[in-house]
Amino acid sequence: MPFIELDVLNNKVDGILGIDLGTTNSLVALWREGRPEILRPADGNGQPLQDARIPSVVHYPANETPIVGRNARARGIEDPERTIFSVKRFMGRGLADCTDDLASTPFAATENENGLIRFSIDERGETPQEISARILHHVWENAGVALGMLAPRRAVITVPAYFDDSQRQATRDAARIAGLEAVRILNEPTAASLAYGLDSKNHGTVAVYDLGGGTFDVSILSIEDGVFRVLSTSGDTHLGGDDFDRALVETALDELRERIGLEAAREPAFLQTVRLAAERCKIELSRVPEADLHVVDVARGLNWRRTITRADFGDLISPWIERTFDACRRALADAKLTPADIEDVVLVGGSTRVPVVRERVTEFFGREPHAGLNPDEVVALGAAVQGHVLAGGTRDVLLMDVTPLSLGIETMGGAVSKVILRNSPVPAQATDGFTTYADNQTGIDFHIVQGERELAKDCRSLGRFKLSGIPPMPAGLARIAVRFLLDADGILTVTAKEDSTGAESTIEVNPMHGLADDEVEGMLLESFAHAKEDFDQSRLANLKVELGTMLKACRTHLPSVVDELDPEARLDLEEAVAAAEAARTGDELAAAQKARDELERASLPLAAILMDSVAKRALAGKNLDEV
Amino acid sequence: MERTCPACGTALNSPLVCESCGELLEPEPGLTPFAVFGLEPAAEVAADALRKRLLALTRRTHPDFFGSDPGARRRAESNTAALNEAWDVLSDDIRRANWLLGYLGGPDEKAERDMPQSFLLEVMEWNEAVEEARAAGADTDATRTLTTLEAELLAERTSLVTRIREGLLPLPTDTDRLVELRRLMNAVRYLDRTLHEIAELRLSHASSR
Repeated sequence: MPFIELDVLNNKVDGILGIDLGTTNSLVALWREGRPEILRPADGNGQPLQDARIPSVVHYPANETPIVGRNARARGIEDPERTIFSVKRFMGRGLADCTDDLASTPFAATENENGLIRFSIDERGETPQEISARILHHVWENAGVALGMLAPRRAVITVPAYFDDSQRQATRDAARIAGLEAVRILNEPTAASLAYGLDSKNHGTVAVYDLGGGTFDVSILSIEDGVFRVLSTSGDTHLGGDDFDRALVETALDELRERIGLEAAREPAFLQTVRLAAERCKIELSRVPEADLHVVDVARGLNWRRTITRADFGDLISPWIERTFDACRRALADAKLTPADIEDVVLVGGSTRVPVVRERVTEFFGREPHAGLNPDEVVALGAAVQGHVLAGGTRDVLLMDVTPLSLGIETMGGAVSKVILRNSPVPAQATDGFTTYADNQTGIDFHIVQGERELAKDCRSLGRFKLSGIPPMPAGLARIAVRFLLDADGILTVTAKEDSTGAESTIEVNPMHGLADDEVEGMLLESFAHAKEDFDQSRLANLKVELGTMLKACRTHLPSVVDELDPEARLDLEEAVAAAEAARTGDELAAAQKARDELERASLPLAAILMDSVAKRALAGKNLDEV
Repeated sequence: MERTCPACGTALNSPLVCESCGELLEPEPGLTPFAVFGLEPAAEVAADALRKRLLALTRRTHPDFFGSDPGARRRAESNTAALNEAWDVLSDDIRRANWLLGYLGGPDEKAERDMPQSFLLEVMEWNEAVEEARAAGADTDATRTLTTLEAELLAERTSLVTRIREGLLPLPTDTDRLVELRRLMNAVRYLDRTLHEIAELRLSHASSR
C-alpha cells in the first residue's frame, strides 16, 4: 500500500496533515513512508531544522502585512505593543471569560453582539479566530516548504481535551479562514497516545499528562489490540507553563517595583523584558540546579539579578502542580482507577521538561514516566497518525475518544438535566423525556448547555431552540423526547419530538462566541486566496538555488572530461546549461522547473563519465578527494 | 430469527454491521441494548467478552473508517453511537438491571420510593457523617470516620447488587418480585448518592491540602 501519494502533475502531496496548534508553539507532521514525520523546513545551510516548532505569535507592523512565527516572536521582543502571544487562550471565549489574560495583551479588545472578542490593532480589528488562522496558514506554508511542494489542505488539528464546544468550533473556523479543512478536531492527549502506541507496547492502561504553555490535560486510556480507548479525561484550560513564568515574574517585580517605581514596572516593554528573563531562568533550571533571574534595562541603568534554585522554583510553582493533580485525581476517579492501576505515564508538552514537574508526577503515579518521546513533538506526530487513518491509510489503529464535558438541557428553575454525561464515548446518543408545565402550552423552549455545574447559568450556553405545535392539553401530559446525537467530531445535533402529533424540531448546535458561515467567508484573508502564488514564489526561489548548484557542478567538471563526451551529448548539455542560465534570471516557475529537469537529464552522460573516472582512479589507489 | 447480510448473504451476528464483508446495516428501530450486541436479555453479561465484542464491532463501524462517503459516514456515526449507548447500559450492573426492570414491565424509578423507616434513619446518619467531615476538613477524625463508612457502604452495595442479580435469575415476571427489585435498586441509589458525596469530598480535601 502506498503510504504517500505524490500528485506530480499538480506538484502537491496528498494525505492529511497533523497540526498541533499550541498556545506557545505550533508544529506540523504528515504520515510518510510508514510512519508519522515532523515536517522540517531547511535551515540556512540546507539542513532540516532540528527544532521545527513555529512560535504561535503574530506581529503587526504599522501599515504592513502581519508577520507570523519566528520572525514575529523576534519582533515581539523589540515591539511587544504590536505583537500577540498565546491567542489560543481567547479562542471561543467572551471578554468576561478572560479578564486576566486580557490584562497581559497589548491590544484593546471589544466584544460584538455574538460575544465574539475583537482586538483593535491600529485601524484593523482581528478576532482570535483570524489571528489563529494566520498561524495555521503559516504552519501550512512551512509544511509546503518542507515537502518541496504544495502541502495538503486537509488537516487534523489538535485542541486541549478540556476545550468546550465553543473553543473547538473557534478552532474549526480558524482553519476555514486559513483555507484549510479541519477533517477532525482531535484531543491533544489522545493524539499523544497514538504516537506513544507506535513507540511502545500496544497493551495496557496509560495516563497522558499534558502540560503545555497555557493548558493542562490528563487522559486515562486503555490500549488493547490497536484500539485506543479513552476511559476518562480532565483538565484545566487555564493552567500551564505561562503560569510558571508568571510566578517568576512576580518574584522579580516584588523587588523591582521598589527599585524603579510602580508606574515604570507596569510598562509593557519593561514587563516583556522581565517575562523573557523569567522564561530564560525557567529553561536554564531544567538544565542546571540553580540559575539567575537576571533583568537588565540599560535605559534605566538597571542590572538586577537573583539566584533561583530548583527548590525555590519548586516552591513557587507548587500550587499549579497541585492543581494538575486535582485533575488527575478526578480523571482516575471517573475511570474508577487508582494511580497503582496506571501501567505507564506519558509526558506531553514543553512544561513537562521542568524537573520538579517530572519528580512530582513520578511521586504521584508511583512510577517513572515513559521516556523516549519528545514531549514537544508527540502531539503533532499522533495527529499525523490519525490523519493517516482518516485518509483511509490503515484500519490497524482505532481511536475511541470521549466527550470531556456533560451536555444537558436547562429545566424549570434553572437546573440542568444532563443528557450525555462527561466521559461518554463518542459518537454518543441519548434521549431524555420532558413535558409541559402549564395547561394548553403549545411550545417549549430548550436551552442546551455544556458543563458539570448544577445550574444552567454556571454552565456554557451552547444554544436555544423551540419546539412548537404541541396540541393543547393539561400540564404534564405531553410526552416530548429530546434526542442528543454527538458525532465523532463533537458536533451536537438535538431533536425534540412530541409523541402524540409527531411535531418535531431539530437544530445543529452553533455555539455562542461563534462565527456565522458568512462571517467566516468574509474573513478569508486576501493573501490566503493567493496561497498558490505565494507557494509558487517560494518554489521558484528554491529551484533557482538548485539550478545554481547544478550549473556550478557542470562548470567545474565539464572542462576536465569534455573530450570524453560524445559531440551530441556535449551539444545537448551546453544547450541545457544555457537554458538553465536563462531560467535562473527569469520569473517563470514552469520554465525553471523544465530547465532543471532538462539539465538533470542532459548532465547524465557527464555524471556517468565522472563516476567512471572516480572508479578508475580509486582502483588506481588514488585518494577520492583528489578527484 | 436469522438475518443475512443484504450485500454478501452471510448470516449476521450483529444488527449493525456484517462482520464478514463489512457492510454497514440499517438497524430496525427500537433495538434493545442486548440485541445491539447480538444477545438475548439476561441478568448477567460476561464483562470481558462484552468489552472484546465492543472493540471488534467498533472496528467495523467507527466513522473514522468512512471518511470519503457522507452517506456511509452518517450510518457509521449512528451505528457506533447505538453501540456506545448499548454498552453504557450493559456494562454497568445497576443500569443493566434498571433497563431489564423496564423491559419486564416492572415499576419505574419514580415508583416504590417509600423506604423502610429504619433505612431512612440510616441514610440520615450517613448524611450527618458527611456534613461533619465537610465542616471538620481534611485530616480530622470526622474525615477518617468517613473512610470506615465508605467501606461499609461499598460492602452493602455489593450485597445489594448480588441480591438484585439473583432476583433477576431467571428473569422474573411476577409483580411482587419486580416491586422488590425496584426497592433494592432505590436503596442502591441512596447508597450511590452518599458514596458520590464522599468521593467528591475526598477530591476537594486532596485539592485543598
